[in-house]
Amino acid sequence: VTVESVPQAGRPGHAGEAGWQRVHPLTPAIRSWQALAVVGFFLARDLGEGWLGGDRSSPSVPVPGREVGLRVWLAGGGLIVLVLLAVLAFMALSWRMTRYRITADTLELRRGVLFRQHRLAQLDRLQAVDVSQPFLARLFGLARLTVEVAGAGASSIELAFLTETVAQDLRNRLLAGAAGLEFSGEVAPEAPEHYWLEVPLPRLVASILLSGSTAMLLVTSLGLVAVMVASGSLAAAAGIVPTALGIGGVLWSRFTRGFGFRVATSPDGLRLRHGLLETRTQTVPPGRVQAVRLSQPLLWRRLDWWQVEVNVAGYGTRRSDSSGSSETTLLPVGTRADALAVTAFVAPDLGVGAGEHPRVVVDAGLDDVGPGHGFVASPPAARWFDWISWRRNGFRVTRTVLLIRSGMMVRRLVMVPHARTQSLAVQQGPLQRRLGLASFALHSTPGPISPVAAHLDVAVAAELLEAQAERSRQARAAAGPERWMRGVGTARPDDSELRPSPPPGH
Amino acid sequence: MAVGPLSPEPEQSTGPRRPTDPFDAPAVVWRPISAKLATARRIVTGVMAAVLALLLLVPVLVTDLTWPAWGFLLLAGAYGWAWWLIGRQVSAWAYAERSEELLVRSGRLWRRIVVVPYGRLQYVDVEAGPLARAFGIASVQLHTASAGTDSRIPGLESTEAATLRDRLTERGQAQLAGL
Repeated sequence: VTVESVPQAGRPGHAGEAGWQRVHPLTPAIRSWQALAVVGFFLARDLGEGWLGGDRSSPSVPVPGREVGLRVWLAGGGLIVLVLLAVLAFMALSWRMTRYRITADTLELRRGVLFRQHRLAQLDRLQAVDVSQPFLARLFGLARLTVEVAGAGASSIELAFLTETVAQDLRNRLLAGAAGLEFSGEVAPEAPEHYWLEVPLPRLVASILLSGSTAMLLVTSLGLVAVMVASGSLAAAAGIVPTALGIGGVLWSRFTRGFGFRVATSPDGLRLRHGLLETRTQTVPPGRVQAVRLSQPLLWRRLDWWQVEVNVAGYGTRRSDSSGSSETTLLPVGTRADALAVTAFVAPDLGVGAGEHPRVVVDAGLDDVGPGHGFVASPPAARWFDWISWRRNGFRVTRTVLLIRSGMMVRRLVMVPHARTQSLAVQQGPLQRRLGLASFALHSTPGPISPVAAHLDVAVAAELLEAQAERSRQARAAAGPERWMRGVGTARPDDSELRPSPPPGH
Repeated sequence: MAVGPLSPEPEQSTGPRRPTDPFDAPAVVWRPISAKLATARRIVTGVMAAVLALLLLVPVLVTDLTWPAWGFLLLAGAYGWAWWLIGRQVSAWAYAERSEELLVRSGRLWRRIVVVPYGRLQYVDVEAGPLARAFGIASVQLHTASAGTDSRIPGLESTEAATLRDRLTERGQAQLAGL
């Protein structure tokens, strides 16, 4: 189907069968390879035992009743084969029932054998498109396409599995549709990519070794060794195994996810590629990032490395482990320049005053304590709550962004564009009330970042609440279009350094 | 102390007066919620207290210990305290409709105010349990794309809840913004 033929949004069951595509026939096998492997293993073992049963003096096959044993084995084997056939038939049927269709405005997915599902997503509501390849799928040249729309619960649409070329072509078409880009021909043009930074392997390894989890692993191991030496028995060694497995698993997953991390920019947005066994290519269109956080664990400070995470509607509702979900990491580790460059792409306009350089303001947010460069810090009374970090906790407002800085040990700087504010709140407990403090919270879409400016002076919090409501009101009124290529040229934010430039769509 | 960064445009300082109490926005009409909610909550707490009293009755009747009798006094005291607390909580709850935002404030000891722009509205919930229906009250909650937005207004008169719901959806449609 050509994209020009713009069919109207499909009505379930009525839209006609034109344009419906199926996923790759190998899909069921790849989806259930673990189950298949287990079944295959037991089948092979049973067959082997059956063949060898007479020759071995196995207690389960007594020699006098050998015929009975064979019959039981045949019945059992037949049952297994039957079940297997039923499962295979169900998987084939389920594959047949899974179909998708793309029009200029919508993506539709139908699936389910007993419980049918027909899901329809509006492309202008698209938040992100990921192409991922689990290890086995990669061997077969297949890929999974995940389309995030902002909805509560499991709202994403997953097309799995497709051949790599189909997945990439679909991604381009979806992004072109989401951008409102007009094009002719069957194949949407791939947005030109501009590679621009990658995480070197030594740095990734070093960043993982210098993390809190590694330190924890070392400390617990040393503690257990000390216990072993002191008690003279090896019993404590048993305690080390679960700890090492748990923390080691976290570190390993951080390594595999950060492996080969590359960031590219394109008119369709930021493009991230990463993964060792399972590879993933994410595309986050402009204006879809709801909040950005730069953070620096204590051990990275000498090297001045930073991590960049984002809130993107749709990503946040996915499962995430203790080390954060992989989708919301924009940069697992990078120099300050790298981190700022990535940040500048997703939040291109910092909106600082005429006489100021944005870099200076952000540096103040990353390093400084106390007031300065327009930051408003917590008053001394806040030391009753944050007796180390109260001097650093604070915020700064610019024309377009709210910056919230916090943390003495792990330094953090959160940026939320005024246009992305969902709602605001101020809270005050009894002790805060006595000390004349209040905490300001800004509600963003679900994700790793929940922006809170803790323990501000109560009058400051009052004024911030009022002013921020007004600023988000104005930003909403001036917000750019959801379809970022519609009616605009090819103006793109200049991402070479952190400096103000007009956001796309203006 | 925070004048500079909070008003990037200096000419704004001649605007409306600067708020000093975050829990009282200037120039809005705060509407209280229905006192029926307090009655409903007191009934629920009363039922729980009655169940506890019945449980206490068992040792008093079966054994000849005297100390469980003190439990009744304690229970009565706790219920009195809960009675007073519910009254204060319910009277602290209020909402206000501004031209572009809904304000909800609640709590006495732990105070909280939420500002929800109508343009961020995703959907509105109106809920009423059996007891609330018997009292003719309902709760209204405005949901945005953020899970953190807790803008529940409990204990509105059913008619008020319905008109508020309609007004909210109407304004949400009129001022709808993207994410």
